[in-house]
Amino acid sequence: MAKSDNLDRIIIGCKAGSAESFSELLDIYASRFYGYFYRLTGNNEVSNDLLSELFVKLVKKISSYKGGSFESWLFKIASNIFHDYLRGKQRRKKLLEVRKKQLESRITEEKKSDSEKVDKLQIQLEKLDADMRELIMLRFYSQLKLKEIAEMRSEPIGTTLSRLHRGLKRLRELMER
Amino acid sequence: MNGRNDENLKELFAKFLNAEQAEMAAEDVEKAEQILREYPAPAPDDTLIAGIKSEIAQAVLPREVNVFRRIPYKMAVVAAAAVIVIASISVRLLEKGGGRPGKAAYARIISRALWESDDISADDVELAIFTAEIEQIEGEVLTLELGENGGNGDRAVSELEMELIEIAGDFWKG
Repeated sequence: MAKSDNLDRIIIGCKAGSAESFSELLDIYASRFYGYFYRLTGNNEVSNDLLSELFVKLVKKISSYKGGSFESWLFKIASNIFHDYLRGKQRRKKLLEVRKKQLESRITEEKKSDSEKVDKLQIQLEKLDADMRELIMLRFYSQLKLKEIAEMRSEPIGTTLSRLHRGLKRLRELMER
Repeated sequence: MNGRNDENLKELFAKFLNAEQAEMAAEDVEKAEQILREYPAPAPDDTLIAGIKSEIAQAVLPREVNVFRRIPYKMAVVAAAAVIVIASISVRLLEKGGGRPGKAAYARIISRALWESDDISADDVELAIFTAEIEQIEGEVLTLELGENGGNGDRAVSELEMELIEIAGDFWKG
């Protein structure tokens, strides 16, 4: 069965309210969305919560999916969830500043468990502005074409390309230091 | 994460930059994305996935329950609609088949008690007067026809008939 046919079958099952079909979707997308949330937040617990929220929201919203790129639709929901999280984060800004300092101090520690390990990439990603970071992650973790990403962001493809190029070039420079 | 990478970045950049710049920009993107691949994000924990599956099952369950709850409600609505339709058809059929339209039509103008009463004189004084006059004239006509009133019977009958017609006309004029 072709990949898209299989996805169509799963989506039909989800629309019919089959928990098994939702589980299949979770198996397909969990790693990519977890990676997307993790690289945007740099936090395992938050990524757990956001991934969970995404799939619970998916159950509620699946009936509103009317065709087109499912992945684009799902990443749009994920992006909204991340932005909701960011808005909440603003309210807890002071608390997070404290956490950031804790995070930076943890980097210097030599022994860290794998789940809490903060890699070099994550540190450098934090130095990019939030929108650029999100664009890079959207490009990397979704299988969307740049045209679809531009549509999702409601901006011309030239703007998306330019921002992506600048962001990735900056990231590369930071990583090569 | 390579599924969409069949798109030609150099061609895309070439729409906005010159050939040399487009090639360099595409190279920048590819090299940076290679770094991203070298630092994979952690994978979600199995217990997390199991927990989400359990949450999904709970979120799906109320939808299924709601569907079953809606069924009796829908059935009640359909049954009520059916009762209304049957009742309305029955009323129409009864009106057509079993009713007495003549009586019903008059009943709207004349009260039911008056219509059903046999004692006209008690019900309507004017009607009683006309009825009495008609009966008197009828008696006179009958007498004349039988030759009980002398020689000029034909003329008298005509006069009485004219009078009778006039009274009847007055009566129906009200």
